[in-house]
Amino acid sequence: MTQRRSYAVGTGLFIVLGFAALAYLATQTTSVANTSRGDTYTIDTRFANVGQLKVRAPVKVAGVRVGSVQAIDLVPGKEEAKVTLAIDESHKDIPEDSVATIYTSGLLGDQYVGIQFGQSKTPVKEGGEIGLTRPAQQLEEMLGKFFGGGSAPDRLGGTFHVTGSFTNIGGLQPGAAVKMAGVPIGSVESVVVKPGAVEATVTLAIDKRYSQIPDDSSAAVFTSGLIGSQYVAIQPGGSPEYLADGDSFVLTQSALQLEDLIGKFLVNGSPSENKPGAQGAATDNAGKK
Amino acid sequence: MTDDAIVRVRGLTTVLNGKTIFDSLDLDIPRGKVTAIMGPSGTGKTTLLKHITGQMRGDAGSVELDGLNVPELSREKLFELRERIGYLFQNSALLTDFDVFENVAFPLRQHTKLPEELIRNIVLNKLQAVGLRGAARLMPTELSGGMARRVALARAIVFDPALILYDEPFVGLDPIALNQVLLLIRTLNETLGITSVLVAHELAAVQKVADHVYLIANGKVVAQGDPATLANDGSPWTAQFFGGEADGPVPFQYPAGDYASALGFPGGKA
Amino acid sequence: MSSRNDNVVVRSLAQIGACGLFLLTILAAIPRSFRHGRETVRQIWFVGAMSLTIVMTCGLFVGMVLGLQLYDVLSIFGGTSATGTVVAIAIYRELGPVVTALLFAGRAGTSVTAEIGLMRATDQLDAMEMMAVDPIAYVAAPRFLAGVVALPLLGLVFCAMGVFGGHLVGVTWLGIDNGTFWSNMTATVDIHKDIVNGVLLKSFAFGIVVSLIAVFQGYTTPPTSEGVAYATTRTVVASSIAILALDFVLTSFLI
Repeated sequence: MTQRRSYAVGTGLFIVLGFAALAYLATQTTSVANTSRGDTYTIDTRFANVGQLKVRAPVKVAGVRVGSVQAIDLVPGKEEAKVTLAIDESHKDIPEDSVATIYTSGLLGDQYVGIQFGQSKTPVKEGGEIGLTRPAQQLEEMLGKFFGGGSAPDRLGGTFHVTGSFTNIGGLQPGAAVKMAGVPIGSVESVVVKPGAVEATVTLAIDKRYSQIPDDSSAAVFTSGLIGSQYVAIQPGGSPEYLADGDSFVLTQSALQLEDLIGKFLVNGSPSENKPGAQGAATDNAGKK
Repeated sequence: MTDDAIVRVRGLTTVLNGKTIFDSLDLDIPRGKVTAIMGPSGTGKTTLLKHITGQMRGDAGSVELDGLNVPELSREKLFELRERIGYLFQNSALLTDFDVFENVAFPLRQHTKLPEELIRNIVLNKLQAVGLRGAARLMPTELSGGMARRVALARAIVFDPALILYDEPFVGLDPIALNQVLLLIRTLNETLGITSVLVAHELAAVQKVADHVYLIANGKVVAQGDPATLANDGSPWTAQFFGGEADGPVPFQYPAGDYASALGFPGGKA
Repeated sequence: MSSRNDNVVVRSLAQIGACGLFLLTILAAIPRSFRHGRETVRQIWFVGAMSLTIVMTCGLFVGMVLGLQLYDVLSIFGGTSATGTVVAIAIYRELGPVVTALLFAGRAGTSVTAEIGLMRATDQLDAMEMMAVDPIAYVAAPRFLAGVVALPLLGLVFCAMGVFGGHLVGVTWLGIDNGTFWSNMTATVDIHKDIVNGVLLKSFAFGIVVSLIAVFQGYTTPPTSEGVAYATTRTVVASSIAILALDFVLTSFLI
């Protein structure tokens, strides 16, 4: 009988091990597992554009990992993303005037938050905020990532329409996403070439929740990743006036050929085509604050 | 004698793969006696035992065991019946997963909810009867052929069956073990009144133990009687079988065409 | 049954048909086999727990080699941070269930076939019949059930070891950031599509097929030593073909 009992115990252990493996796979390697574990404190940051930054992405100081991204939300009523960082307790000495930047590991690599220390003697408090940030770089937003194209948001609040003229829309289709600061805010309603015109007129249906778009903002046709679908990205301008229903964008940037993109990247690393306003907005959000 | 027959076979006809094994076989196994079934190899003696236990069914005829017609029984009834039959396999058929004790205890554990104490007593009692109480904790692979057969016998009698079927119990036993098995069969029969049917070739052994002998050939009973008289009844079947002759009514040659023509000589009876 | 003159197709069909009928026999015997619960537990030990070593070792190495290869290829595009994601998805959806099932067929399936074949050859199955114990309920059904229970568990263990192996190579040796490795994985791996439909459902289906083939081959083997040897070979061949063919069918439904 003891022999039989030992089989039962061994079998029980085996079954427990199997379920432990299931619990491990389910909680640690899937989307269920997005809570960070103890011994951390949080810092809030605001970015004009988070690009493809993901929850649980690393936070680094001088290239050394000090924590991870805990949450990414859109600040209500603003074209800003609020990113909550969970920093290890052992790194309590981050100066309050530090600058947080979204970087990309390599050309197509994943994004992470890098923190450059400031001069202040006071460290940022638990639950406090780093005021100075730099958003995800333009180039990265254009090349995108391997995963995740844009998806149109729901239209619970109704939509308003704005138009833009593009010399080249590439493969943009009606239904494609419209994004601001990397967050979907609407969709492309129609793409037409008006009689007698040489440019394509694109009508965008934008959620009314995001009605505060400066009227000198620019619209650009971007691609999610090298082989991803195309979408319209809106770069906010600095004007106090907002776009209203039926208005059109003054500044537009047409779809680029892949070869152009890579050529520009290799030559000067900063694409800018008839959109001087966007240049300033994208470069240094920190400076404006 | 037919009145107290425990097994009654009537008109049993079985054809396997086009070969007629039994051709309207009639046979009675008397209750409380030791009956031997003999016959040339391939006459279906083991097959007959399988008909009695219901493992095989004939194409025609009936096999009655204690008044029940075996081929018509449902699986449940058949299993109930088998609990009252012991069967000793030619190669013992001990369960290799279990030791000797658990092998003998196996039918008890499967069919009863007896307390462990009682199972232990019954099993040791049966092992003592076959002289292997000391080997209770050996595994089947550690036993010699004779010991394994005795364990199988202990297992076959663990339910004190009314009928035990022995399939070639004497094959491969040394003279000492053979004598012990003979003695066991006789003792079980005399002390417990267990009816025994044994299939065997060994004439000398059969003569010592059997009350009644059936000689089967070509699917029929060709001779029967008590062993002493049967050997000398003068019929050509018994003369050939017990005398070991190649020529006689039992063909030594497997049915074949003309030998001369098979070898390619002209003039054969092709 | 098939005669010797039938061609391969007819014989295969006859085998598949007999196998299907055998499955029905086993399923019918499962309620009766609950009386032999201990035997089922013992078989889970033999087919499941005893396969752990090989499954864990192979899972680790599969994960490691995937990590290495993916790192090598993805570094061409600067996308090494996707290593964890691709390792996890490849293992959960395909390699985990399929390789585990193949290992299981080789390790446990053959031993079940050989064991039942030997029981057949040494008349143990007939002896059970004679002791009024149904060998389908006592021998076949517990081994079948044990395989169906054990394979999904083994598949899960294989996957866990595979992810661990991928992490070991990717993060510990090649220096992918630990958070990047996990964050990409958790952002992409879906519990329903990858773990429930991938690992669990496939392993369960493979468990039924491999266990059925192993038990069937053992149960119907000719009672000779060559018969048992052929039956074990056939178990591996038939299981492997069945696993990969079924994998394709399942994938086309699940994807």
